[in-house]
Amino acid sequence: MENIIEISNLTKIYSELKAVDDLSFNVKEGEILGLLGPNGSGKSTTMNCLLSLIKYNEGTIKIFGKKMSPDSYDIKAKIGVVFQDVAVFEELSVYDNIDYFCGLYIKDKKTRAEYVEDAIKLVGLEDYKKFYPKKLSGGLLRRLNIACGIAHKPKLILLDEPTVAVDPQSRNNILDGIKKLRDEGATIIYTTHYMEEVEILCDRVIIIDKGKLLASGTTDELKKLARIEEKITIEVGKVDEKYIDIIKSWDSVEKVSLNANLLVITYSEGKNNLGNIMDYLNKEKIKYNKVYSERPTLNDVFLELTGKELRD
Amino acid sequence: MIDMFIHNFKYAFKTLFRNKPLIFWTYAFPLIMATLFNLAFSDIENKEKLDIINIAIVDNEEFQQNIVFNKAYESLSDEKNEDRLFETKYVTRKEAKKLLNDGEIDGYLELKDGKPVITVVNNGINQTVIKYVAEEVAQAIFNQEEVKIKDISSSNLSYTMIEFYTLIAMTCLYGGILGTYAINMNLANMSSKGKRVSVAPVPKIKVILSSVCASYLVQIIGLMLLFAYTGFVIKVDYGSNLLMIIVLALVGSLAGLTLGVAVSSVFKTSQDSKTGIIIAITMLGCFLSGMMGITLKYYIDKSVPIINKLNPASMITDGYYSLYYYETLDRFKMNIVSLLVFSVIMITISVVSIKRQKYETV
Repeated sequence: MENIIEISNLTKIYSELKAVDDLSFNVKEGEILGLLGPNGSGKSTTMNCLLSLIKYNEGTIKIFGKKMSPDSYDIKAKIGVVFQDVAVFEELSVYDNIDYFCGLYIKDKKTRAEYVEDAIKLVGLEDYKKFYPKKLSGGLLRRLNIACGIAHKPKLILLDEPTVAVDPQSRNNILDGIKKLRDEGATIIYTTHYMEEVEILCDRVIIIDKGKLLASGTTDELKKLARIEEKITIEVGKVDEKYIDIIKSWDSVEKVSLNANLLVITYSEGKNNLGNIMDYLNKEKIKYNKVYSERPTLNDVFLELTGKELRD
Repeated sequence: MIDMFIHNFKYAFKTLFRNKPLIFWTYAFPLIMATLFNLAFSDIENKEKLDIINIAIVDNEEFQQNIVFNKAYESLSDEKNEDRLFETKYVTRKEAKKLLNDGEIDGYLELKDGKPVITVVNNGINQTVIKYVAEEVAQAIFNQEEVKIKDISSSNLSYTMIEFYTLIAMTCLYGGILGTYAINMNLANMSSKGKRVSVAPVPKIKVILSSVCASYLVQIIGLMLLFAYTGFVIKVDYGSNLLMIIVLALVGSLAGLTLGVAVSSVFKTSQDSKTGIIIAITMLGCFLSGMMGITLKYYIDKSVPIINKLNPASMITDGYYSLYYYETLDRFKMNIVSLLVFSVIMITISVVSIKRQKYETV
């Protein structure tokens, strides 16, 4: 597939802070690329550089094969952006807000009216067309924010944390909408620090921290980097240290920790880990209550790569 | 591109017109002030109508030889003249000083090196008239024109009218608040909406221009409301000068609007702070141009004239006063040109500032 975005050696420095540090990555046509990193990792700065909203110190950015600049109106016409901050006019209704922003891209009134209706339908705001933003809940406002950014049916969509502080119902609606956009042929960059969303949505993920690229690949490829195959958490009673030392000595066990009454065992590989640990606890007559088995998450990958949680 | 201009104009107009704080400052506040002025000054107006002004002229050799000054003051002091302004005493400098100190005259004129020197003790309308007439005669000599000064005692330039003219100046300059909105809603480093506009395939100067035009329309509607309210409800008599008054208000509004655009382009701060800056500039400008008393305008004209030459509020009020003080429109036109030059300077500052901005941060 063709590269829609090519970023090479991008560096952005604010005074003494390197917000983006020699960052290079590509985005392929039709994919959803997750840009994952904790707050302040350089995700939004990268987006702003990409859109030529801010100057950058070094590097090149090409979109649709052309160098991006503030006057690249032919490129801008094919891009839709949903910013982290809700950017709508309090004085305009839901319909008028979408129509206004769509009108900056689409001149033909008839086509625009169709596009606006499609966007309203996509984000599920059919019953709120005449409402003013003040009357909308946080979740509905986020949906309006998305509709304003994508109503003109762009080929490339940049979504900067579109689900921050929204209720679960709106979040599901938004995620479904993003999948629909991808199915309709859009290429999407999705920045977030919610790893669950990335796992649900993204074809490929890049992880950045302190402006640097830490890793990139599919979620499965990244999880392999974490050297974790399975994590088992058991609510236990009192456990003698000697049993923990024995569990630690097993070949497939990477790490064992006991915090309060939670025994957490991390496995690097192996099959039937759950059966083996159950058998062992029963054999040693160690009492237990609940048992959870989890596959590794991108948070584990991030923890492995940086030593800190994504939501720090 | 005209489609885009109209599209943006339509929504900018809707947005501005529905913005309650904005409508308060540009529409409601001037009407409230007009009502208060009417209540406060209507009585004073009846008591303070201009009478013939008592002056003295130092009858030195230079004055006797200056035929234009001699004839002009003779004519303006002639009891048979319908346009009579002055009751004039021709005396020595010593006598003039004594008359002034005794309160028998409002001021005296002395010609020195071909220039009129006015001496007054207090500041007020009479003193302002004495100064303007002397300036006008000197200007006429300089331009080698005939001296034409109107009878201002019958032209009804009362305290109320002075206050209403500063009120119009204030309304014009409050248009600056609209100018700040026009910029803030379109620039990426000013608002999140501006960020969204900045990523659209539209040149920002064109979007800003259409927003500024929408702001101007909103402002003109506000001005028309003020004229309608003062004319029909408060019954302010604008007389035969109404057309000139409206023309000056339109040009003054342009100056106010462009001031707001420049403030907003140069200062990276919140909308509330920008509104505060415009309100502060407007109130200060109107204060210096005589909103709280014409004497201050006269005092500044006399002591630090550069302030009111740069003050758009003063350019507007001075233009209005000139319609009453002068028979010719020269001074009125000069104020119109000054306001246009002021607007062009503000636009230049804004364009340079906006064009230079590719932001370090947004």
